[in-house]
Amino acid sequence: MSDVVVPRPAAPAATHARMRPAPTGWSPSRVGGGLVLGAWATLFWFLLLSGRDNLYLSTRTSWVVPVGAALLSAASLGRLASARVRAPEPLGRREAWILGAMVLPVVLVLALPPATLGSFSAGKRAGFAASGVATPLGDIGTGQLTLIDVAAAQTTKQGETALAKRAGEAVGFVGFVTRYADTPADEFLLSRYIVTCCVADATIAQVRVVNVTPGAFAANQWVEVKGTIYPLGREVIVNASSVASVPRPSRPYLTP
Amino acid sequence: MTDVVTAPRARTASGRTFAAILVALVLTALLLRLSAPERVAWIQTFFVIFGSLLIQALPFVLIGALAAAIIEVFVPIGTLEKLASLPRALQLPAAALAGLAFPICECGSVPVARRLAAKGLKPSAAVTFMLAAPVLNPVVIASTFVAYRGRTALWTMVIGRFTLGLLVAVAVGWVVGDRSKDELLRPRPDEGHAHHVVELAPPEARWRRFFVHMGNDFLYMGRFLVLGATIAAMVQTFLPASVIGGVAGIPVVDLLVMMALAFVLSLCSESDAFIAASFVQFGPAAQLAFLVFGPMVDFKLGALYMGTFRKGFFRMLVIAVAASTLVGTMWVKVIAG
Repeated sequence: MSDVVVPRPAAPAATHARMRPAPTGWSPSRVGGGLVLGAWATLFWFLLLSGRDNLYLSTRTSWVVPVGAALLSAASLGRLASARVRAPEPLGRREAWILGAMVLPVVLVLALPPATLGSFSAGKRAGFAASGVATPLGDIGTGQLTLIDVAAAQTTKQGETALAKRAGEAVGFVGFVTRYADTPADEFLLSRYIVTCCVADATIAQVRVVNVTPGAFAANQWVEVKGTIYPLGREVIVNASSVASVPRPSRPYLTP
Repeated sequence: MTDVVTAPRARTASGRTFAAILVALVLTALLLRLSAPERVAWIQTFFVIFGSLLIQALPFVLIGALAAAIIEVFVPIGTLEKLASLPRALQLPAAALAGLAFPICECGSVPVARRLAAKGLKPSAAVTFMLAAPVLNPVVIASTFVAYRGRTALWTMVIGRFTLGLLVAVAVGWVVGDRSKDELLRPRPDEGHAHHVVELAPPEARWRRFFVHMGNDFLYMGRFLVLGATIAAMVQTFLPASVIGGVAGIPVVDLLVMMALAFVLSLCSESDAFIAASFVQFGPAAQLAFLVFGPMVDFKLGALYMGTFRKGFFRMLVIAVAASTLVGTMWVKVIAG
């Protein structure tokens, strides 16, 4: 926060040079800034303790939350401890409102119920969906297939070939339901976002699920699909043997 | 001549101002709970992206502010001026390579560069450091390697990003030339006045100055970050990725479009390689344009730069980064396709 000072025409020299007494008082600008830092520290502790950091960050970057909480707390306490000064800096009204505005994101996150990216963004990020997640081909060719493997396989010709060899194998994926205007009633796209740092860099992994009871699952609903996989070039189809509604995972985004 | 005094009472925040701010925040929270705007899909998407941008970036801004406060309070005056006596041909690459030792993303490097310039480092070297650190740091290079692992363009991308990032940062530093810090830095209300006050009492303890500087830098940069994150989240909410697919393969245009995309997406330099790698329809040169330009200029950074630099310099910085990235990636296109 800036400690606003406003210049005004000079005082007479005698006044200017006069020795100041050294009273101490609370500096509004330091207290105000300390409180803003404290509000942000509270948010970071809340995210850490409630596990809501998983809704915004990947496992790779979740360390910024405890680090941010500790640093913001230290910065807030240090600033408040420095707030009693001999000549308190005033806080301009405009500056005070700017500080208030800086707390607004904290209020937004705390006041709104937990949410994740959903179907609305799936279409917007479809171009990203070829996905830059590069998984070693060995991971695609063997072992339990994951949605990250599927996304990675769609990135390269070798990946597509490796995945094609898994045709007919049993798979199980958890994701949310996405439907477009042209999606047949007995199908949906099972989607899951892949986040490297934060949600802003989310890419999407999708498979087309067929043989679904029409009308049984709504968009954005989290489901577990079990069935048989059939990779067809750039599209991957899962013939569902069972689709069950599940709660949103505590970590809704995958990390490559 | 001016004297620094307390602000006139009419403009100073009173107890009533603080109460009004508190009431406004509480009302906002209540309104949000009652109206449940998250039921509207685009609003929910906007809030999630906006929140994630801030939650990820703010700790880095604070780390940058912490480093800046250490420089301000604990580095003796004159130390950085000694570095400024090195010849520029040596100074700029050295400043760029210093980014290797500063493994945080772009939001943190801005307050550090500002403090370095304010404390006596040549502004050209400070700007070079600021631009290079988010591209050259080891975490970014490692993430680029992971994103392109298994691709034929792996080493073109890793070496190309490092080399081009270094060259662009040095080139922009060269363009900055001998401009002084007063020509570069936007004056801040909380700085540059204290020395006018006749203080007969001893100065504040170092630890107090450290916390005050750290808080001031964080709160000043933070407001611009909030602004930048708002714009970036809005763009991310509505921008369909398919918009740019049609220009892939059109010479030069593909480079410019990828730079523009990097600007509006405002991604962290530690994750942008994963997005760049997903644009398989674009060649390595266009993807490099995305990876070099994005960490140096984007919406989020634009807001931080506007708070840090004078308007004229900000314009010059954007043009210089864009021009040198474009020229560099055109050469990459000639060499690597």
